[in-house]
Amino acid sequence: MVTKTEESELKNLEIQVDNGGGGAWEYLSLVRKLKVRRSDKVLKHGLSILNDSKLRSKLGADEWTLYEQVAVAAMDCQCLDVAQDCTKALRKRFSESKRVGRLEAMLLEAKGSWEKAEKAYSSLLEDNPLDQIIHKRRVAMAKAQGNISGAIEWLNKYLEIFMADHDAWRELAEIYSSLQMYKQAAFCYEEVILAQPTVPLYHLAYADVLYTLGGLENVQTAKKYYASTIDLTGGKNTRALFGICLCTSAIAQLTKGKNKEDKEGSQLQSLAAKALERDYKQRAPDKLPQLTTALKSLTLSS
Amino acid sequence: MGSNDLKYEVSQNAYIKLVLHSLKHPTSAVNGVLIGRISSSNDTVEITDAVPLFHSQIPLLPQLEISLILIEEYFSTKGLNIVGYFHANERSDDFELGGVAKNIGDHICRYFPQAAILLLDNKKLEALKKSKSSSAIMQGCI
Repeated sequence: MVTKTEESELKNLEIQVDNGGGGAWEYLSLVRKLKVRRSDKVLKHGLSILNDSKLRSKLGADEWTLYEQVAVAAMDCQCLDVAQDCTKALRKRFSESKRVGRLEAMLLEAKGSWEKAEKAYSSLLEDNPLDQIIHKRRVAMAKAQGNISGAIEWLNKYLEIFMADHDAWRELAEIYSSLQMYKQAAFCYEEVILAQPTVPLYHLAYADVLYTLGGLENVQTAKKYYASTIDLTGGKNTRALFGICLCTSAIAQLTKGKNKEDKEGSQLQSLAAKALERDYKQRAPDKLPQLTTALKSLTLSS
Repeated sequence: MGSNDLKYEVSQNAYIKLVLHSLKHPTSAVNGVLIGRISSSNDTVEITDAVPLFHSQIPLLPQLEISLILIEEYFSTKGLNIVGYFHANERSDDFELGGVAKNIGDHICRYFPQAAILLLDNKKLEALKKSKSSSAIMQGCI
């Protein structure tokens, strides 16, 4: 997950490099640090550095890191011959390296030779059973072949060993959501929130899953998590504001016959509605009438 | 199942919007809503516009509810309704309607019985870059 400042820095560098303003190496290092997926740009600018022997020798030892980065980006963009060249160069330099072995297995995976790649990964894992990246590649292969239950199995095994990997928990939650196994998805999000309680995105996703599950308790908990998201983002998160309105009307519908005067709930909803209207006035004033009718319909239906 | 044969017309505007949306997010599934009306002779459904919806977090309910409410509001002032649903899968060889897409499609059908679902054929999308075929790259299912 990248923060807003890092995202804007990345964008500025990207624009600068795209327009020929230099700074390609800084851009590539930032992409590597933040682990974002910008494979087409990495391929273009990385290749321009590698093909220019002067720039290449300036890099010194970092040249090999660049080879690795470009190889992975080439595989992502399906330019397999570029990836093969980079991997060969690396193999020539580091003939006994496990890291290069991993790249070669990834190349097999990119070509679609699933069994060969599977064999390569298993043998690499025998030598080094704690290599996180290889475990993740196995999960990715299962997902790519359409074997979703296999992917879930591998991912669960991975998480038994590496319980602190938040990205893996998030991936598992997304897989469960796409299979509509919302209870399990909620469990995964709970793990992530426990580990990183100050990231509002996880609270938001958890609240979404709870709302989708339905049932009075879940929707009430969802409302609390939308509220915490608003707390963490200083009231700027539109999705959470909408979420609160939806939750309040859903709760009111579910407790229709029980005559509970939930004053606190309706206050929260009117505050959320006002915040939404203010936001729309600022950013999209011509959509304001739709918003007000939509909000009215939500409260009327309760 | 429609006993009378309904024709479906997709306008260029709608088609382009959906294809561009899928191209912008090549690594995730995307979906969208089709807007249009039934023609006055009651035998053609004209799909005049499309609203791309999500490119992540598709199966979650709150976003979907709010977006459907807002879309209905906006287009009913122009006399159009939601007439269908568009879906593009994550994997390039996945050519089936997943459970989520079916559920959303069923839901839309409840409000508009002649609704259609368009599923993007990812392989044909790839081929589009190499050839200039004008065949449709979506499969329609009702």
